[in-house]
Amino acid sequence: MENPKKTVLHGWHVDQGANMAFFGNYDMPLWYKTGAKAEHLAVIGAAGVFDTSHMAAVAVRGRGARALLQLCLSKDLETCIGKEKTALVDGRCVYGIFLAEDGTVIDDAILYQLQPGSFMVVVNAGMGGIIAAHLKKYGVGQEVEIHDLTDKVGKMDIQGPLAAIILQKVLAHSSTVFDRLSYFSFKGSFGPFGADSAVTLADGTSVLVSRTGYTGEFGFELFVEIDRLLPLWLQILNAGMDKGMLACGLAARDSLRAGAVLPLSHQDVGAWPFLNNPWQFALSWNETMTSFTKDFIGGPALLKSRWQKYTLPFAGFDPRKINAGEGSFVTKESGEHLGTILTCTTDMAIGRVDGEIVSVAGNKEFQAKGLCCGFVLLEQLCAPGEKVVLTDGKRKIVVEIRADVRPNRTARRPMDKMLG
Amino acid sequence: MKELSEVIFVEKLKYTEDHEWVTGSGATLKVGISDYAQDQLGDIVFVELPEVGATFAKGDQFGTLESVKAVSELYLPVGGEIVAVNDALGDAPELINQDPYGNWIVEIKPSDSSELEQLLTVDAYRQLLRG
Repeated sequence: MENPKKTVLHGWHVDQGANMAFFGNYDMPLWYKTGAKAEHLAVIGAAGVFDTSHMAAVAVRGRGARALLQLCLSKDLETCIGKEKTALVDGRCVYGIFLAEDGTVIDDAILYQLQPGSFMVVVNAGMGGIIAAHLKKYGVGQEVEIHDLTDKVGKMDIQGPLAAIILQKVLAHSSTVFDRLSYFSFKGSFGPFGADSAVTLADGTSVLVSRTGYTGEFGFELFVEIDRLLPLWLQILNAGMDKGMLACGLAARDSLRAGAVLPLSHQDVGAWPFLNNPWQFALSWNETMTSFTKDFIGGPALLKSRWQKYTLPFAGFDPRKINAGEGSFVTKESGEHLGTILTCTTDMAIGRVDGEIVSVAGNKEFQAKGLCCGFVLLEQLCAPGEKVVLTDGKRKIVVEIRADVRPNRTARRPMDKMLG
Repeated sequence: MKELSEVIFVEKLKYTEDHEWVTGSGATLKVGISDYAQDQLGDIVFVELPEVGATFAKGDQFGTLESVKAVSELYLPVGGEIVAVNDALGDAPELINQDPYGNWIVEIKPSDSSELEQLLTVDAYRQLLRG
């Protein structure tokens, strides 16, 4: 194994006694001494903070920037905002996929419009250089500048119902920052994109505050200059320490996102056509889902594709899992082979009551034992409610195909409901 | 992750290379997992136990531990008959994290007590972890 890279918070993680593991070429915390279960539950009931500075960002600027991104991102930037399907504007961000010409996934991303000719693309760990090169390839001859900002952006997430109450303690002018900060919008700017004097921490640090995340819960992704990340991390920990907030590792991040039916790039979406999955909203389908509302890289291949596998969410009936990977597969209850397991983890905040999935969110008395959940890639479509069997060849676990997994998620709650 | 200096060892127990512990003597033996193992696994969320009365050979898989991270197989350190299982783990699998030596998993009646001699002493186990 080559030497893993370290984020600027690495020393803090190690000092806290975190169990560390190699992820996306970085040495990252899996969980801290509190354990992944407590961390997962903290995000449901209070708040959790995550070091996400292993993720990469790419700056795309210039008069040709929007047209290039419209060509390369799967989402239609002219119709991507809200129910009214309006265009991407300053202060809004959108989730989309960078596809190869054959319709397979290079990476998923959130695209931020800072100004009409200034965009930030946030992609997964290790993908900054690859996405920058991809954009440069299609931007040849265009008026566009592309900069890979890998390891130059300080990023952390604060997620959970108390995220705004905690964050407001470290922000200057928090009421202005939070005003009309709807889901998938942001305020502020930082470092490579210039400062915005209206959005800073109390200590004057420029910050970009984004109403996004990867847990399914209410919260923010925060961007600062790389050398400001440790001070921000420590300020937020201090602000949240009496509110049940915990630092959370990648295990809790994975179990939270799986319960929220969010994909992990290169695991749940990857080197196969981006079709027949729960994330088709990331494509620019027309209303009848017969064609796309724009031309984009990978679009024609998807329209012609004969891909007949289906990526489906599932949940079990207890916490038992089957390790995803080689040797594991999915069958019908009759034993007939159905496909493979992409993700299998345990959402510790949920359990079953009379067969129905119940979350500890809003049910303080409920003692959840956790349910296994994740995604399977099947050779035929199964409807929600159908039961399939996960197996590693020895153990067998019956799980249920689901439309959704963890109920009572908070990600889309209005800002004013979350400020107490 | 615990530093080796923080990992708890119990002197009178025997250990296996699979990070299990075994009470050292007697007509029946209790089996659990070591402090090192529970620290590596993280939060244990489910324990799959065998039926009482089942018999296994040394090295057979007799159950699984589900942690948040993965499923881990449990192997019997010596062959024999399962005479008891720790039912408390059904409701509270986290007991293993809280006290890995106080919370045994199964109790076995060994079929061949000479197999006990192949288990690791605490010093040999400590040496194994030092690598």
